Amino acid sequence: MNNSSKKGGFDVDIRSLLKLQHKRVYSICRLFTHNYKEHQDLFINIIAAVSQNIQSRRQNSDKQTLILRACINMAALHSITMEPEPARERAIQFKSPDYQRSMTRFRESIGEASDYEKFRLFLEFEGMPTEELTHLTGLPLPGGVAGKKKEKESELPLQRKALFNFIPYLKEKLVWS
Amino acid sequence: MELKKLQQHWDEFPEMSMEERPVLSSDLEKIVVKNPFSGTINLRRKLLIRIVVISVLWLAGIGQLRFQWKTDGPDLYQAVALFGLLTYSVYFHVRLLLFADYSTLLSLPLISFLGKLETVVDKYILSFKFISGLAGFYLLGGIEWLLSGWSKGAQESLSHNDWYKWLILIFISVSFDILLMHTIIPRYQRLLAAVRKYKEGIQAKAQNK
Repeated sequence: MNNSSKKGGFDVDIRSLLKLQHKRVYSICRLFTHNYKEHQDLFINIIAAVSQNIQSRRQNSDKQTLILRACINMAALHSITMEPEPARERAIQFKSPDYQRSMTRFRESIGEASDYEKFRLFLEFEGMPTEELTHLTGLPLPGGVAGKKKEKESELPLQRKALFNFIPYLKEKLVWS
Repeated sequence: MELKKLQQHWDEFPEMSMEERPVLSSDLEKIVVKNPFSGTINLRRKLLIRIVVISVLWLAGIGQLRFQWKTDGPDLYQAVALFGLLTYSVYFHVRLLLFADYSTLLSLPLISFLGKLETVVDKYILSFKFISGLAGFYLLGGIEWLLSGWSKGAQESLSHNDWYKWLILIFISVSFDILLMHTIIPRYQRLLAAVRKYKEGIQAKAQNK
């Protein structure tokens, strides 16, 4: 039986994967949403992003990494778009009483944690090693790893550094990074 | 110790709830075709529409330029300038769409993703300058057309006075740019500021840890 057969234009492999990974997607929704609607919207957007990532992935990219990156990037995008919302609309309001209770207790215990801390918590709860944070976000790891990278950068030959700064204005205009 | 407490609260979440029900196959079929980008962030469609419209105008511009060249018309320089602007606009928008590469954007690491999003929004804001420039040319054409209906003399006088025409063109373009800056552009500027603030904030937080 061919597992990757298409049914209704949608890869069965991806469908099974998304069904298996839905708990992981819900985990990040717990950390970043405040009410039922936000929770459902973020979940749908992450699933759509995961599916898009997997469908357009390059051969050497790992599915787990693509899932986690979609979760993190969509959560960040959610935070960016939710930022102008007034505080009163950010109250915790969920439909199931049990879920509301758990969420209130959990939010009280994390307090005003930043998104960086929430990403670390997400990886911790998902049982991922701390080193994965750099791989998934491009952010330096807490501790000495960042220092080592800076040291490496300072070892770049001066000539090469000068080349990088060649006509900065023109470079900025011509090269979009 | 603190993490232990958090883990304990985390584990207390109900195994199954209205909020965290298993995803159904029928729901998945609908979800996966959805565009994960929404609202102001979703620029792909807008860029595609612009590319199509500007390409049509570019084709019309070729015809106009050819006509002006053959008849040695009075608007040759204007047609050349418009054609140049249309060509660069198409190039700029296609380049932006290819650079954004929306299908792989969400698979980038967070900082690269935010950096790319920042560049895309920044360049999209810049692209409104081209729209203002093009609006200047086409509104001037519209004014000339209206004048030809109302007052033939005024239209003749305008079409033979290049200096006034260029001044009107610049005036219309700048006015249109100001109009865009007060109507459409602010929402993209707010988004750009939010993305920058978030990126800088998260980087600062990571370095302080």
